[in-house]
Amino acid sequence: MNDREMDEILKQSSRAPESVRPELLDRIAASMGPSLVAVRPLPPSWAMEGGLVAIAVAIAIAGAAKMGFFGFMKLIVLDRVIIFLMLGMLIFLAASEWVSENIPGSRRRLTPGAALAVTIVGMLAVFGLLFRDYHTHRFLSAGLACLGFGLLCALPVAFLGWLVLRRGFAVNAITTGLVGGTLAGLAGVTLLELHCPNFQALHILIWHTAVVPVSAGAGAMLGWMLARRS
Amino acid sequence: MTPDIDLESLMVRYQQGDLAAANSLIQDVSPRLHRYFVVQFSSREHADDLLQEMWLRIHKARHTYRPGEPVLPWLYAIARNIRVDHYRKSARTTGHEQALDETPEVETAAAEETERIPNLDVLLAPLPESQREVITMLKVEGMSLEEVARATSSSIGSVKQKAHRGYEKLRERLTMLGLGKGQVGELQ
Repeated sequence: MNDREMDEILKQSSRAPESVRPELLDRIAASMGPSLVAVRPLPPSWAMEGGLVAIAVAIAIAGAAKMGFFGFMKLIVLDRVIIFLMLGMLIFLAASEWVSENIPGSRRRLTPGAALAVTIVGMLAVFGLLFRDYHTHRFLSAGLACLGFGLLCALPVAFLGWLVLRRGFAVNAITTGLVGGTLAGLAGVTLLELHCPNFQALHILIWHTAVVPVSAGAGAMLGWMLARRS
Repeated sequence: MTPDIDLESLMVRYQQGDLAAANSLIQDVSPRLHRYFVVQFSSREHADDLLQEMWLRIHKARHTYRPGEPVLPWLYAIARNIRVDHYRKSARTTGHEQALDETPEVETAAAEETERIPNLDVLLAPLPESQREVITMLKVEGMSLEEVARATSSSIGSVKQKAHRGYEKLRERLTMLGLGKGQVGELQ
């Protein structure tokens, strides 16, 4: 049996129009009538994406301004260009995915899981390429401090991002939380790259990069809890 | 099938608070959504409840529709949200998997006895949810691959893969039911 014959069988099996009880349709229409007022559509995607990128960048820079731009000053110009260009692209990707997650039927560039994977692999590749000092000094204490600062920066980004997207409709709370957490985590990594003068490869590869999966995981967990409550 | 362009203008008028447009939309779209729920759950009773729930959510989220964008992916994305919520609630309260597994089998047996092409929900019942959903959107609703990808929050490649796998399973099933070339010709 070929595909065309199967198409024909499916057509035959769905030929009879689906009948919905007229009283059910009347009840639905009647329930909507009283609250039917004009609504303002969401702003364009580019405006929401721009807002999210601006929030992530502004909070990362504000955090670094408070703590000091020691990492940025220590980097050579080429490294600055490569690292911040990569972070900028990843922030834009995560922002556009977060917006898409909040608009039903949006076109997707990547699935949320793939966006997270691309983000982590991209950071590991760039950091692995640029930082070659494999000594470790105060690996755990310095690492935990950086992870904490990164996550602290991620919190306001996640909250303000949620404010920007609060009128959206998340079709999947878990993946929406995952993508939101990814963007917030990227803001945390940006803060660390601006501030942290510790250029030991393992410190950056493990502790700086870890901000993103930890933040994304927390976002997904929050989404799961909200979905269970609803 | 209603052209999507009409749905777009109805949707825009619905956003502007036009009651007549809202009623037309309910009349035009509800049978499609109802069929989607019947195929997903093999139960008309569930489908009625979910259709009502669906319209409540459409009403709340109507501002998220973008004028100029296709309406069907937007609607089906919300329908999926309802479906997932329903599965989650069912899983918490009852052993829904058992119920879902049993229902189609009974109907399948009845369909085999009548020796004619079974209803769509019975025909697609043995397929996994994701394949059932993709085949319904692609082959019954006539949505494009791009629209199905938007509705299911996935890539076009993933939609193609699910449709292909679903068709392979369906082919086996139709062969088992004895619906060969000859019978399709007779029905035409």
